[in-house]
Amino acid sequence: MRANPLRGNVVRVIEVLGLTKRYGRVTAVDDLTFTVRPGQVTGFLGPNGSGKSTTMRVLLGLATPTGGDALINGRDYRTVRRPLHEVGALLDANHVHGGRRAATHLACLARGNGIGQARVTAVLDQVGLADVARDRVAGFSLGMRQRLGIAAALLGDPGVLVFDEPVNGLDPEGVRWIRELMRSLAAEGRTVLLSSHLMSEVALTADRLVVVGRGRLIADTTVTELTRRGSLEEAYLSLTAESVAHRAVAPAERGRR
Amino acid sequence: MSAPTAAERPGIGRLSAMTAILAGEWLKLRSLRATRVILGVVAAAVLAVAALAWHVANLWDGLPPDQRGHLRVAELDLVVSLPVQLCMAVLGVLAVTSEYGTGMIRASLVAVPQRRALLAAKAAVVAAVALVVGLAALFGTFFAGKLILGDRPVAGYGAPLSDRLPMLFASALSVLVFAVVGLGVAAVARSALGVSSVVVALVYVLPMIAINLPKPWSDRVYSLLLPALPGQLAESGYAGIPYTGILPPPGALAVLVAYLALPLGAAIVLIHRRDV
Repeated sequence: MRANPLRGNVVRVIEVLGLTKRYGRVTAVDDLTFTVRPGQVTGFLGPNGSGKSTTMRVLLGLATPTGGDALINGRDYRTVRRPLHEVGALLDANHVHGGRRAATHLACLARGNGIGQARVTAVLDQVGLADVARDRVAGFSLGMRQRLGIAAALLGDPGVLVFDEPVNGLDPEGVRWIRELMRSLAAEGRTVLLSSHLMSEVALTADRLVVVGRGRLIADTTVTELTRRGSLEEAYLSLTAESVAHRAVAPAERGRR
Repeated sequence: MSAPTAAERPGIGRLSAMTAILAGEWLKLRSLRATRVILGVVAAAVLAVAALAWHVANLWDGLPPDQRGHLRVAELDLVVSLPVQLCMAVLGVLAVTSEYGTGMIRASLVAVPQRRALLAAKAAVVAAVALVVGLAALFGTFFAGKLILGDRPVAGYGAPLSDRLPMLFASALSVLVFAVVGLGVAAVARSALGVSSVVVALVYVLPMIAINLPKPWSDRVYSLLLPALPGQLAESGYAGIPYTGILPPPGALAVLVAYLALPLGAAIVLIHRRDV
């Protein structure tokens, strides 16, 4: 097990406390509170547009909250120097400059945190991109970009990892690889927050579940607990039924209307 | 996987943090293909001006001695300074839009959440590159001109280097200012769209408007514009540029610094406040 400097007193590595984020009149996140603990994968689940990405952007200092706090290791992310040693994140795999080679892209991020070239080579190897390290990112598939984004998150060997929809664009083999990577990272004692809009995916990977809809907390539970209510899919859909803006009428229901 | 955790890591000083950020920004700038293209254009501009010098030398030699006095050619380093200024302004713009245009800025700010330090490092790297490129292009042009024109007293080459030094340094400084203006305006606008028009306005449109103002306002306004500042700073008015010599060198330097500081300052304030 990984040595955790906070072990024994604080186990809430990620703390979202009464977080509210408004864009004009649109409330993306509405008084959201939850915590994420080390040593397990926490699934951050909700329909599209439920505020998952906004919460993660506030957590990583990209957006300023309208109210409340989002802390990692008890601190505002924007006050941390060389944060890649503490927190790794993949927000959007397409946030790369296509003209750079994969290794150079990682080196640009690594240098700013005082991380050397050896570590760049090691993470490229770890995510299976060693053979294309010298290729330009413009030619990468979405799946390869997801792997590159995960490599960037692993650069500083951080104790906290945040991934926003990392399985998008991956083939079945890649989906399985991510699942195993997430679980092994958590097994090493790291804190893993993984967002998804797919219950089926999160159920296979996560231990805990934070379910949101329309920016509000719907459930803070475990996968085991939720399964007791019957099918996970049904449980998830009934939880989020109130908070989806547009949902097609099921074929069976259509006849009845 | 057993890198030291946050608590075990030795404290990171402001200085070493800044050194690392500078190293990252330097790698970003030199790994852009556009940077190489821009440097290629600068080299081509110097070669083109050298070709002009060669043409002028031939022209001079072909003229009967009594007509040589009528041969008028602009100073070669003045000719080259405009494309070099524009190229470095574009470099400054690209250093920013290459991040905002691709979304890379988010990955960059997750890696370095000290936004003002990140933008300052970007500006420092761009400014250093622009100064080196400006000095190389201007002195390269000057010496190429000297070599080609020899002792023919045309295009400002009758005078020794020492007379020309203040102007060469002033022009190189203006190249740096153009680059940082491009970066600052781009970081305020956050997109390539519109940024180029601001740069074109500063270089062409505003001077055109200024020239057409009634006197003495045309002189006063023109003296404050970027193209008029190097000449006033070096106190060596160009034959080709009117209305210079209103500001004393310290005044010209102050205005030049204001051009550099205002957009960059606005960008540093805004990058700290805005969501990305």
